[in-house]
Amino acid sequence: MAKVVIIGAGVSGHTAVSFLRKNLSKQHEVVMISPNSNYQWIPSNIWIGVGRMTEKHTIFPLAPLYKKKKITFIQAKVTTFHPEGDNEINKGFVKAEFVTGNKKGQTIKVDYDYLINATGPKLNFEATEGLLPGTNKVVSVCTYDHALHAWKELDALIQRMRKGEHVKILIGTGHAKATCQGAAFEYILNVESELSRHKVRDKATITWISNEYELGDFGIDNMTMKWGRKLMTGKELGEMVFENQGVKHIKRAGVYKVEDGKAYYETLEGEYKEEEFDFGMLIPSFSGHGFKAFDKEGTDITDKLFKGFMIVDADYTPKPYEEWSVQDWPETYQNPSYKNIFAPGIAFAPPHTISKPRYSPNGTAIFPSPPRTGMPSGITARLVADNISDMINTGTDNITHLGSMGNMGAACIASTGYGILRGGGVSITTYPIVPDYEKYPETGRNLKHTIGRVGLAGHWIKLSLHYAFIWKAKMKPFWWLIPE
Amino acid sequence: MAIKPTKFQHFLMRNPIMQFFTYIYLNIKILKIVRIGHDGTRNKK
Ligand SMILES: Cc1cc2nc3c(=O)[nH]c(=O)nc-3n(C[C@H](O)[C@H](O)[C@H](O)COP(=O)(O)OP(=O)(O)OC[C@H]3O[C@@H](n4cnc5c(N)ncnc54)[C@H](O)[C@@H]3O)c2cc1C
Repeated sequence: MAKVVIIGAGVSGHTAVSFLRKNLSKQHEVVMISPNSNYQWIPSNIWIGVGRMTEKHTIFPLAPLYKKKKITFIQAKVTTFHPEGDNEINKGFVKAEFVTGNKKGQTIKVDYDYLINATGPKLNFEATEGLLPGTNKVVSVCTYDHALHAWKELDALIQRMRKGEHVKILIGTGHAKATCQGAAFEYILNVESELSRHKVRDKATITWISNEYELGDFGIDNMTMKWGRKLMTGKELGEMVFENQGVKHIKRAGVYKVEDGKAYYETLEGEYKEEEFDFGMLIPSFSGHGFKAFDKEGTDITDKLFKGFMIVDADYTPKPYEEWSVQDWPETYQNPSYKNIFAPGIAFAPPHTISKPRYSPNGTAIFPSPPRTGMPSGITARLVADNISDMINTGTDNITHLGSMGNMGAACIASTGYGILRGGGVSITTYPIVPDYEKYPETGRNLKHTIGRVGLAGHWIKLSLHYAFIWKAKMKPFWWLIPE
Repeated sequence: MAIKPTKFQHFLMRNPIMQFFTYIYLNIKILKIVRIGHDGTRNKK
């Protein structure tokens, strides 16, 4: 009998746990450790943040589902990793602290045969002074409760605009190395669309601020895509959409401080500037959770497991941008020191960014960190789950399922407004996610599969995906047929 | 200077009938991406 422990019931952890339970017979134990009682479908938070959905549409409780599917659920947060065990337990275990109920604050050791670290990112608001949501006129849409608060603040702002007040809205990235530009891009366009719907659009100046070198970089190095019969770059796409919705923009900006309604930023040219706002949504930097790891004797071995995020089979040798290749990217998500530990989704340490690193004359790094959106998070989680299931079912150590972001496609659907007839979206498919200039020397991507479209259909797709992925997450009939 | 969609392109972007066909086209494109699948890169050099 084998025991597989998964940490983090987010997109990748929940995908992994679902496939492990499906692939493994009930004699094997599957355990989920996660601090939240609910599963949340994060991509729809932008619609909560403009009042078009509530948390009821995007969350559901995990405990009843896990009970029904015979998955052990420990509502706790992991604090330390002990891959060799200790003097009490002769196998790997993690220490976790209960976050609720009468055991709150108590710790538990959970041993495992295989461990999947799917803890995603820490939303590192502290890395930018004054960025905490709910302070200094800034909000966030990174979690459903943040998004609910964002809508409360936006609604109050709309009431002020109705009374004739002119306001400034600032949305984008809140750190020089932030990622997840796509979420901010969706939010700014949804806010714009909602202000038009509430007939107060003329009362707002809406500005985008970002660490991208060009608009539409999205942390994947400004891709070129097929647009009908023509080619279009991410830059041209970003400019077109912002022009169409009357959004101003500031690019190449590293926000380093926020005060009451004022964002301070450094530009790539080395200038220090500021931008005022009445309502701001600035994505924080993402970091690892600061986990510590110890060997059997209690010696700190954090360096063997973590490099901010978890170390996997990537090539971490520092190299200049010109020498980066798709081979640097991991394909098994297995820790090289402890072969029974894996880290799919955002939890793995990337070898480097995808966008070109750029520094201001003051030495500040101002460029996006590499994003890992829902599709690669789900795909990498599934392949890890399939590999572990195969190892358990066949009794071998063979890894047969591989998936590098340099040999994997993704669909990115960015909402530009909500509504069956007045909504919209930017739909992009890209292959591969990390550009491969050896295979595709011109643009780094296969132009047959790297395409873009703007229009109402994008909204329908994003909405269909919302329902499909919640169906899948709830493990309803034939859930496994829905691709990641 | 940003690319500006023509009035006709705007019409196409908002027209539900045209967008229905775009919806089908995009779903096929997404399914193709899914069908290509994923693999490693290191032994493929
Ligand atoms: C506002 C927003 C909109 C987005 N929109 C899109 C979109 O439209 N399309 C798309 O593809 N992607 C989108 N993304 C990105 C997508 O949400 C991420 O790619 C995805 O959530 C990453 O999955 P993950 O499992 O790696 O991390 P997460 O989903 O963040 O899950 C991590 C889990 O680990 C848990 N955890 C954390 N610490 C611990 C601990 N110490 N112990 C135990 N558990 C822990 C967390 O509670 C969480 O449940 C969006 C992101 C944001 C913020």
